[in-house]
Amino acid sequence: MSDREATLLALPLSRAGAAGNGYRPFGRMILEVRLDMPAWKQVVAVACSIIIGMFISAMILVVSGVPPAELVSEFASNVFDRQSFQAVLVQAAPLILVGIAASIGFRARFWNLGLEGQMVWGGIAATAVSIYHVGPEVLRLPIMAIAAMLAGMAWVAIPALLRLRFAVNEIISTLLLNYVATYFLYDLLYGSWKDPVDAFPHSTIYASAERLPDIGYGVNAALPLALALVLVVWWYGEFSRFGFYLKFIYANPAMGRLVGVPIMPVVWTAVLMSGALAALGGFVVPSGIAGRLTQGFFEGYGFSGVLIAFLARNNAIAAAIVAVLIAMLFVTGQSFQIFYQIPFSMVQMIQAIIVMCVAASEFFIRHRIRWQR
Amino acid sequence: MHDIIVSWLTNLPSLAVPYALASLGLIISERSGVLSLGAEGLMLVGALAGVAAYLSFGGYPLLALVVAMVAAAVVSILFAVLVVLLRVNQVIAGLALVFFCQGFTNLVGTVANWSNHTISGLHTLPIYPLSELPIVGRVLFSQDLIVYLTIPIFIAVSYFLNRTNTGLRLRAIGENPEAADAAGLNIYLYRFAAVIGGSALVGLAGGYLSVVSAKIWIAGMTSGRGWIAVALVIFARWHPWRALLGALLFGAIEALIPQVAAAAIRVPQYFMLMTPYVATLAVMVWQEVRGRIGSDEPAALGQPYVREERT
Amino acid sequence: MAPALELSRITKSFGDFLALDGANLSVDYGEVHALLGENGAGKSSLMNVAAGLYSPDSGSIEVAGVPCRFFGPRESMQHGVGMIHQNFKLVKRFTVAENVLLANPRGSFRSAKSAIEREIREKAEALGFSLDPARRVDRLSIAEQQRVEIIKALVAGARILILDEPTAVLTEGEAQRLLTMVRDIAERGAAVILVTHKLRDVKTFAHRVTIMRGGRTRATVDPRQATAEELTTLMVGSNVVTPSRSVKSAGAVRLSVSGLASATVEGHTPLVDATFSVRSGEIYGIAGVGGNGQTELAEALVGGRQPGAGVISIREPGSAKPTEITAATPRQRRDDGVASVPADRQSFGLATRLSIVDNFAIGFVHEGRFGSAALIDRARMRRATEVALREFEVQGVRSLWQRAGTLSGGNAQKLILARELSRTPSIIVAHSPTRGLDVRACAAVHSRLVAARDAGAAVVLISEDLDEVLGIADRVGVMTRGRIVAEFDAPADRHAVGRAMVDHV
Repeated sequence: MSDREATLLALPLSRAGAAGNGYRPFGRMILEVRLDMPAWKQVVAVACSIIIGMFISAMILVVSGVPPAELVSEFASNVFDRQSFQAVLVQAAPLILVGIAASIGFRARFWNLGLEGQMVWGGIAATAVSIYHVGPEVLRLPIMAIAAMLAGMAWVAIPALLRLRFAVNEIISTLLLNYVATYFLYDLLYGSWKDPVDAFPHSTIYASAERLPDIGYGVNAALPLALALVLVVWWYGEFSRFGFYLKFIYANPAMGRLVGVPIMPVVWTAVLMSGALAALGGFVVPSGIAGRLTQGFFEGYGFSGVLIAFLARNNAIAAAIVAVLIAMLFVTGQSFQIFYQIPFSMVQMIQAIIVMCVAASEFFIRHRIRWQR
Repeated sequence: MHDIIVSWLTNLPSLAVPYALASLGLIISERSGVLSLGAEGLMLVGALAGVAAYLSFGGYPLLALVVAMVAAAVVSILFAVLVVLLRVNQVIAGLALVFFCQGFTNLVGTVANWSNHTISGLHTLPIYPLSELPIVGRVLFSQDLIVYLTIPIFIAVSYFLNRTNTGLRLRAIGENPEAADAAGLNIYLYRFAAVIGGSALVGLAGGYLSVVSAKIWIAGMTSGRGWIAVALVIFARWHPWRALLGALLFGAIEALIPQVAAAAIRVPQYFMLMTPYVATLAVMVWQEVRGRIGSDEPAALGQPYVREERT
Repeated sequence: MAPALELSRITKSFGDFLALDGANLSVDYGEVHALLGENGAGKSSLMNVAAGLYSPDSGSIEVAGVPCRFFGPRESMQHGVGMIHQNFKLVKRFTVAENVLLANPRGSFRSAKSAIEREIREKAEALGFSLDPARRVDRLSIAEQQRVEIIKALVAGARILILDEPTAVLTEGEAQRLLTMVRDIAERGAAVILVTHKLRDVKTFAHRVTIMRGGRTRATVDPRQATAEELTTLMVGSNVVTPSRSVKSAGAVRLSVSGLASATVEGHTPLVDATFSVRSGEIYGIAGVGGNGQTELAEALVGGRQPGAGVISIREPGSAKPTEITAATPRQRRDDGVASVPADRQSFGLATRLSIVDNFAIGFVHEGRFGSAALIDRARMRRATEVALREFEVQGVRSLWQRAGTLSGGNAQKLILARELSRTPSIIVAHSPTRGLDVRACAAVHSRLVAARDAGAAVVLISEDLDEVLGIADRVGVMTRGRIVAEFDAPADRHAVGRAMVDHV
């Protein structure tokens, strides 16, 4: 071997033997990507993961001091107790709205995490209509709803513009804008809008013409409104031309553009709809439940909307069903707050646990694990 | 006016520290390619754990901070399992982590009765005789231990990332996991370590907030600082020293809020409280307008790694 | 002496797809052993098994007579197997030295770095070129990056060197230099496996050649003994007819491009000054080595990205004035009759996660053919898709609602052609339309393009496959460094075209 050769092939064969085969008593795990899994198996996998998530959550609550028997009976009462069930239905309306709001945003690949900020603005706009007596009383409710939607659209337009014009990540911008909206709300409620009657930081109570009417069974008009919008959004996503475009924007926007999908108009429409729907949620909470604008009326809805959209795989009809289930969680959370001093944010925690479990289950849906010995 | 500026500058470092440590922690995990949106949640975990340790283990502030780091690191294992092993969408997992931590810390803080107890926390440590210097003494040499330690921590992390074999491999995994895999590196191991190590720093940032700055645990006390740290990492282009610069900027803004009130300038207080968030948005827009040239955004950021998958 | 590397009865499947079906390969030290086969024959899969990246379902691996099992690339490297992949496994933002260091840890960072830098210089010198270890990899040319890969493998102690399609991305001259170097490495005692589908490289540089087809190794022969026809037959199985050219005169100019330049990307301009025109009833082939501006040209033509300068205009038959479409959106261009067959099917041709029907219908939905804006007509979509699939002979369709991503490469391309060509476009931009397809699918694609040409379309065929361009184009333009440097009428002389591809500096 010449010098040149020695330089080139510096390491002789001896290294090969020395390294040997790594000792692996269990062989090694091999992951294979599963292309398709029957739908029923997917449903079973997701259902199992939700049950696991609920179980983990229940354990945490039991450790926190909720007697297991109470836990079961509280949840059961959501369905079997008339009063609780009414509460669930009332609670479901805003959750449905934020759920479909999130799902339509996600369909356009826009992470609208500003649902709470848009709710805040919806509540502020509706309350402004109430405070300044805009329009005749008969038209007051529709005016409030429209004002709320316009405010929500305007608020979501900021991060949308930042994202579509400057490529600013909307996850962060929408979240940050929630804080801005909240402080603006505080400025109003601790300032000019403070209730002069009791000097608490909430607005004066709405007039009766400004409250969503009861439609019987203790349920207000928010629920039929929300359900009607579910149908609208469902039709929009599944049967309209824009909805067809939306599928391509979600699946492969670069390809979509090349085959003639008008990206900008479709994304803008979806994002503005998302903001308007969330803001409508911010209108039905004060108008349908509290009767006035309160400090924390929007709390917990933001992540709930994301969760509902995620579990419903961005399908509007499924979102309505999931929203009812989440409403049960809300109602249970409210009573635990009263009876066991469990903070209401436990609802958020349980939702997060369920999201993690379901997300993890997708791994087992998409992959097959094999051991190689 | 002079007093106001001095007291503004004096408050600045301790307000900058949480931003600095949190964004540094995020840089470590993001350099390995794991997008970490969970900072807000991990800071809360650190904040609660710090106060809890302080209250439970006899009031040692440094021990409390170590517990804060450990707690955040332990919780981040959950995140690492989800995104590194189970390849869950990193945005979904990060958001879920934040909301889990928000609910969980609120619940634990209430049930264990750790909320709303003031503690004496970590005191300032004036460096005599430097602390007697006019102005500079107060601003630079009358801070607490963690403020002094922040600079060495930055030097250490920067050295680690740029001047060690392990740091080189970590960055390679974030840039091009296929190349790193072909070079025989264990992608999963490095990403796990980066997430856990980075999260410990995020936890320290949270612990600092509760044990050193606020000296109390209140549910949700981070109020968006974690998200600002996420934005700071983008602003910093994944460079530690630029993150420190950004942290100082945000510390300065935050320190200004009480000074404006003290100076009797009539700005509604809630509008003042909006400034950090608005400033963050402004900084993000500025960053994007300048373009991403020169950015060291890891090329594989946010992408789970799978070897056997065929494209 | 035992062979350097012996692979026996290797099988490997991905899902339902059997990539390797009992493949055997035996390579000796001191030889360049070519592995010849069509795209999808299993060459890369077999080599990934040898390099430890894929674990075989069954079969055995022996290095220098010692049975081995590779659980990862590190183990194969420890046995002296180094692989240079088609897409280089380099960290672009790292320097040459850092990339080599990554794969070859040597003590502390500081001392290792200088040791590695010295080693890189020595190896480069021994191979007869110079390489600055402190340069960032993304500042190097493709050929230089490839050398970094080779050095990296040699520093790691590779004695069995696998090169996966190394010349695919190189110019003719660079390829010759590389292959000469590779032969040099082999003659100094290493075993070199050269994965390729180029017969000429095999005949000139390989000592032995193993031919693969359909996941199996078919034969190992001496390339100097075998004729090109014998090798081709082994490679493709039965002979395939290329479409015959109809002698038909082209019409008026349909598409003209002048002075087209792309915006500057990372300091260099991929597309500098492309000028050409295409007449209706003509296939204008653009030949050239990949990376000379073809992608940018294709994008500018279909509206994917705005060019930095230049004009693209189309002329309607019968109208005197050309219409400029330089700034038109892809949608406007489609309305003007432009169809696009992109090079990267999975990314730009199809939405792989959506159904076949969706992928077909998206091309027509905005025309109102499938219902109104408020209500799309799914039944009509399905019927139209069914008809088109039959006409374009798309196979492997179990259900019209299955994901487009489940189609094989050839059928996916036929689906794209069905969408793009069933509108009878007047201008077709096809970029590498047969890349990665088997011979039969290639022939189908070619006959579709020829049929469209015969129906009066102006076809721009951009391809790195010279045989494809020479086979069906009526005129050939050669693209080098962002310019059309030469034009030839069919039948073009292969050598003249080849010279034009490499001569211009």
